[in-house]
Amino acid sequence: MSLPLVVQSLVLGVLLGGLYALLAAGLTLYFGVMRVVMIAHSAFLILAAYLAWYFHGLTGLDPLLSLPITVPLFFGCGVAMQRLVLARLRPATRTMMSVLLTFAIALVIEGGLGTVFTGTQRRLQLGYSSASLELFGARVAVVKLIAFALAAAAMAALYLVLTKTKFGQALRATIQHREAAQLVGIQTDRVAGYGFGLGLATAAIGGTALALDSTIYPSLHWRWIGPLMAIIVVGGLGSVPGTAIAAMLLGMLMSLLQIPLGTTWAQTVFYIALFATLAFRPHGLFGGRLATRF
Amino acid sequence: MRRRGPAVRLVALAIGAALILAFPAVAANPYMLTVGIGILNYAVLATAWNFVGGFTGYISLGHGALAGLGAYGTGLLVVAGLPSFVALGVAAAIVAVLAIPIGVAALRVRGASFVIVSIALVLILLLVFQSWAQVTGGSRGFVVPRPFPDLHRAEHHRVFFFLFAGLLAVALATWWLIDRSHFGLGLKAIREDEDKAQSLGIPTFAAKLVVFVVSAAFTALGGGLYALWFGDLDPVFQFSVLSGSTTVLMALLGGVRHLFGPLLGALVVGVGLEYFKLEYGDTPLHLVATGVLLGGVVMFMPEGVIPGLSGLFKRWFAPGEVSIREVTAAALLDANRREPEPRVTDRADATEAGR
Amino acid sequence: MSTSPVTSRGLETIALSRSFGGVTAVAAASVSFQHGKVNALIGPNGSGKTTLFNCITGMIKPDHGRVTYRGRDITGKAPDAIARAGIGRSFQLCRVFPRMTVLDNLLVAVRARSLKAQLASSRSRENIDRARGWLVRMGIDHLETAEARNLSWGQQKLLELAGVLMGDPETILLDEPAGGVNPALIGRIGTLVRELNSEGKTFIIVEHNMDMVMSICDHIIVFDRGRPIAEGPPAIIRTDQRVLEAYLGV
Repeated sequence: MSLPLVVQSLVLGVLLGGLYALLAAGLTLYFGVMRVVMIAHSAFLILAAYLAWYFHGLTGLDPLLSLPITVPLFFGCGVAMQRLVLARLRPATRTMMSVLLTFAIALVIEGGLGTVFTGTQRRLQLGYSSASLELFGARVAVVKLIAFALAAAAMAALYLVLTKTKFGQALRATIQHREAAQLVGIQTDRVAGYGFGLGLATAAIGGTALALDSTIYPSLHWRWIGPLMAIIVVGGLGSVPGTAIAAMLLGMLMSLLQIPLGTTWAQTVFYIALFATLAFRPHGLFGGRLATRF
Repeated sequence: MRRRGPAVRLVALAIGAALILAFPAVAANPYMLTVGIGILNYAVLATAWNFVGGFTGYISLGHGALAGLGAYGTGLLVVAGLPSFVALGVAAAIVAVLAIPIGVAALRVRGASFVIVSIALVLILLLVFQSWAQVTGGSRGFVVPRPFPDLHRAEHHRVFFFLFAGLLAVALATWWLIDRSHFGLGLKAIREDEDKAQSLGIPTFAAKLVVFVVSAAFTALGGGLYALWFGDLDPVFQFSVLSGSTTVLMALLGGVRHLFGPLLGALVVGVGLEYFKLEYGDTPLHLVATGVLLGGVVMFMPEGVIPGLSGLFKRWFAPGEVSIREVTAAALLDANRREPEPRVTDRADATEAGR
Repeated sequence: MSTSPVTSRGLETIALSRSFGGVTAVAAASVSFQHGKVNALIGPNGSGKTTLFNCITGMIKPDHGRVTYRGRDITGKAPDAIARAGIGRSFQLCRVFPRMTVLDNLLVAVRARSLKAQLASSRSRENIDRARGWLVRMGIDHLETAEARNLSWGQQKLLELAGVLMGDPETILLDEPAGGVNPALIGRIGTLVRELNSEGKTFIIVEHNMDMVMSICDHIIVFDRGRPIAEGPPAIIRTDQRVLEAYLGV
């Protein structure tokens, strides 16, 4: 294992970790806000990727310009999903039933994408698709850098919203202790809706970033939901900073392991981390009391 | 009415069993027979799933992993030289043992973690079985030698129809046994309120683990028997969250609290899927249909079809039955009309009535 | 074997502490409940009473300190192990199994100690008779086939109590048994507690209803800000200056 190769893997790992962090942040938000395991998150991710690809095919413009359309659209979708569908589930069985319900939504999305776009694999061909830069001695594709920059910007924005705005405060309060939040006058139902919208908005951004660099097909979401779920458990369910850290760690680890093990086996690192976390430290890195009695 | 209940149920059971056993004889062609076997296979898997889902309320989307392990396990052992049905038993036993650490990891932290682990299990096994091509054949598929190579196809199907029916009968009998047992009552308490159940002394972790292992064993048997019947395995179909969720859909639709719920669900969904495939071919549209159906059941019929039907049945055949509040009031009146010596109970009931 | 002390040892906590984030709920509390008596644990809201209960019954793990029962250390054990050790509890927000029948709510509390017992029918004659006995004693036997969620609040409280008693515990922790209950029923519950105490059961009751506490309890422990500040029989506690200050200060 030569040093340049290791450096290359590390850099790529950081870029990958950044993307994972954004995607997993949304997933952990849903759980924190409503104790819902939103399996359809990765399906929405792929949907966003398809929309970016379609937008480019239709208008010839850079797919990143589709963001002003897709982000508000997905945000609205998230709010609608939370208010109209998930809030209807009985609280006692909500976690379990939400799994089935969001899984059903994922199926509908996958089936819909397959019907509309067929199962043919799609890939964005942009002017800068094959360009690459020299960074810290590693050869990095420009699209990966853009994707990372997008993810980092979105995470920064998310961080600012969560920590500096009143809404963000209300959201964090709702995540920590719903009843207490209600007692101080926070309209937790509305906050939960917006929290969901925020989660899906990250899917819109993440999906667009994904489309820059990957080949997409309808059933691709299955390759993402596993690692993402592992990340949120390792980071601690409901904790955005925990998720970000876990994402970076696991992203880098996977990238490094690709050298000796190859891509497919390297992916198992997520699942091993998942089982190890559940076996030895079920709360994850920052899960705290959320992880114990849901 | 109460006296007639068990008798009616026994007669219905006998008729149902007779219908199932007679099916191979009346099936018009081998294709129909294979559909029947497919439905019985679904019924076995759905009933096996229902040990966990029905009793404890934990939803596992990962039973596809256990079925796949049973299938590949059986296949690999047959190739290694074991007689077919010995291989089946051994594979199921291995899966049952594996289910212990899996269960420990999945059940330690509740609800959401259980689901996540179940899905992760399927995904990681899909990864492993696709990549480990030298052993499992990977995506090229894995051929399982037939147990009865001399039989021609129609006979082969007939035999396996009865084998699946037998397995289903054993699974149903076991479910019934647990349902009426003290162990089963404890599991149902877990479903209702796990903390409360623990506070009453029920060893909730051990109970969940035991029923998970039982569920895994039957699921592995179903998967293994399928491998022996179908003869050809592909990781994408064996380790599929979709097939696992179809199993869940069947159990939910039929009703998870009832012995024959999963069987009923298997019948409805199985026939529906076949019809869909015939009419529309193998398009992604059937994913949409499955999704819509699953979503619909979760939102509007979480108790399944059976409670809906039995509600109709009761209203038709026993219109005299009265709501429980009216029964309470009648009983109160009765209690108050009894001896003049005031029992402590009368006072409480009277004050309750006065609320 | 050491000679047993005059009062046999029951439930004790030794320097028990538990905090939630920055808030200390229980602060090095050492309490010794009198075995064989009806004990009360009173104090202002937020003084740590329910947290103490939760630590004792295993629902939460204390940060420091120990809990012993009859001389055996039960600190941090799982709730089901503690229940099997002979300690039963009711909940502040009464908990029953809503979609199970009243009878099943009791049958589920039966201890099945062998594999055979676990696989046997939950509806054995013996268990049903014993369950019915409790239902009659509670006065809710006519509701046997009703689903627990259809019962009134007072009836559910009685059901919860019957369920706890079905497990034949030695010591029973009651968390606000009079909460939200009409006066006649409070009286009944009080009478029941004294009856059961005379049959050998130890009680530890968290309660705000002072009439009930003063009338049925032998020994009162007063909690304030996470630790005991006074203890004694009702007559003494009623006039204790520290107690009055703690309550008035709220």
